[in-house]
Amino acid sequence: MTTTSTFKSEADRPVVRRPWLSRWSDPDDTTLAVILLAPAAILLGVMIVYPVGRLIYTSFLDLSLTSGLPARFAGLGNFKQMPDDPVFWQATWNTVLITLITVPGSLVVGFALALLANLPFQMKWPVRLSLLIPWALPLSFAGLIFGWFFHSEYGVVNDVLHRIGLPGVIWFNSPRLAFAAICLAIIWKASSFMAMIILAGLQTIPRSLYEAADVDGAGRVRRFFEITLPLLKPTIVVALIFRTITALQTFDIPYMMTGGGPGTETATLAMYIHQNTVSFLDLGYGSALAVVMFGLSMLVTALYLRMIRGNGAAS
Amino acid sequence: MSTAVASTFDSALSGKPLRAIAAFILIVNGLFPALWILLTSFKTEAELTQKPITWLPQAATLRNYFQAFSDQPLLTFLFNSFMVALLSTALTLLVSVLAAYALARLNLRFRGLIMSVIIAVSTFPLVTLLVPLFETMRALNLLNSWTALILPYTVLSLPVCTLVLTSFFEGIPRDLENAAMIDGCTRFGALFRVVVPLSAPGVFTAGILAFVNAWDEFLLALSFNSNPGLRTLPVGIQLYQGEFAFPWPVISAALVVGIVPVAILIMIFQERVVSGLTAGGIKG
Repeated sequence: MTTTSTFKSEADRPVVRRPWLSRWSDPDDTTLAVILLAPAAILLGVMIVYPVGRLIYTSFLDLSLTSGLPARFAGLGNFKQMPDDPVFWQATWNTVLITLITVPGSLVVGFALALLANLPFQMKWPVRLSLLIPWALPLSFAGLIFGWFFHSEYGVVNDVLHRIGLPGVIWFNSPRLAFAAICLAIIWKASSFMAMIILAGLQTIPRSLYEAADVDGAGRVRRFFEITLPLLKPTIVVALIFRTITALQTFDIPYMMTGGGPGTETATLAMYIHQNTVSFLDLGYGSALAVVMFGLSMLVTALYLRMIRGNGAAS
Repeated sequence: MSTAVASTFDSALSGKPLRAIAAFILIVNGLFPALWILLTSFKTEAELTQKPITWLPQAATLRNYFQAFSDQPLLTFLFNSFMVALLSTALTLLVSVLAAYALARLNLRFRGLIMSVIIAVSTFPLVTLLVPLFETMRALNLLNSWTALILPYTVLSLPVCTLVLTSFFEGIPRDLENAAMIDGCTRFGALFRVVVPLSAPGVFTAGILAFVNAWDEFLLALSFNSNPGLRTLPVGIQLYQGEFAFPWPVISAALVVGIVPVAILIMIFQERVVSGLTAGGIKG
């Protein structure tokens, strides 16, 4: 890290003759901080703070672009509409279920992949590449490809089932099977990122800890539960929270695989927001739905920030 | 001795056969979908509807690739994706280099708060802003334009890039900057002539992350740019599907064309990408 720096503070810097431009081009710390942080602040203000305000405002409006009527204040009308909307319940339930299934699922698969990738391979790049490609593959492509994998006639999944003597399945006709196929695709896509994060954590664990455990006669399983898992806990918690928030926003994979079908059986909250906004142009109801999702993810983010502060105090 | 037995057992487990099996599992898991699409892209339509299905193409053909470019404006989709990703990456880097420098070098009074805001934004669900952004872009007449995507994508990658760059800047000795400033550089001069070049690997890493984020994004691109001339690749791919027909070999060829540029980028810069992902994901 930095050794003693030449000047302890701004005040110690040698006074050189400053040309008239220097107040702008060579400012003091406070001015500089404002200049440096301003672009980011403006961008966040325009693209996040203002839209969030706008979102909350619109959620109280009766604003449908198809009706051609001007926006009308509707109070809690949009929110009152939700409990009686079966698609809202369906989409919310699906979103929660996807989160509950794919977050632990991708953790378990990711952990397994990370443990395998942590073996002392002579060539590291093929292994690393096979974790990176699923991460870099666009979600929409993954959805399209897995949709093709599960095709009832020409899909590779049914082909494998036939080869091992099992009957093929019409995946996308049944809500449950379609949902299972979607979850599998999401777990596949998410687990490689999880594996990379866990692998990086594994590689920071000092070898000496394992050697000490070896001397004490601890076996592989005990070493895993008493050294690996506790030391990786902070890493895993952060990765899980990121995954949870991403899972709440699930859109691309179900949109590409099933389009929400059969019916609306596999629709997610994000898909329902998109449909209300872009297809029905019912901006009021779309906003109210988004407020619900916003609340869900703020809850998870609050948890995350608390946990980070906890870690910071500990280390 | 039981320890000896245990360690023999261990070394058998981590021996060559295990490593071979592990490598096989990892590679099949990671590359099978991409490989399957590659194989499909060489098959003919007739071969595709054979039963039982074939795994390797029987009469490999490149016709699907020509058709992918002629059936739909694939080149336009690629160009849109590329320009949107490139411009948003450039904007993200510019903004995050400035912010990260302030966070790494200045003794900010609200540093903790600013860091919390950055982390909170990194988990922000952009989906929820679909309505207000859609409204705003509509009002500004920006629907069906690159700008409609460049701005949200910049915000999407800003937190991660800022975190990655902050940790890189912190690793550069202050003396180098001070030396440059004695030699008559201004602080901005020192930033862009000394700090940024020295943290080129970090800037590059952040750039790749921003590029891939933008290249992959689907929902906003689908909602804002539906005009075929302005569709990005993930959205454009949908146009290949007919009402009932699903010309898989051609779609596969288009997918391969879309995967290859990013795959090459990642193959060359693997280590950087991994270090960036883990730095952005873990450090807070």
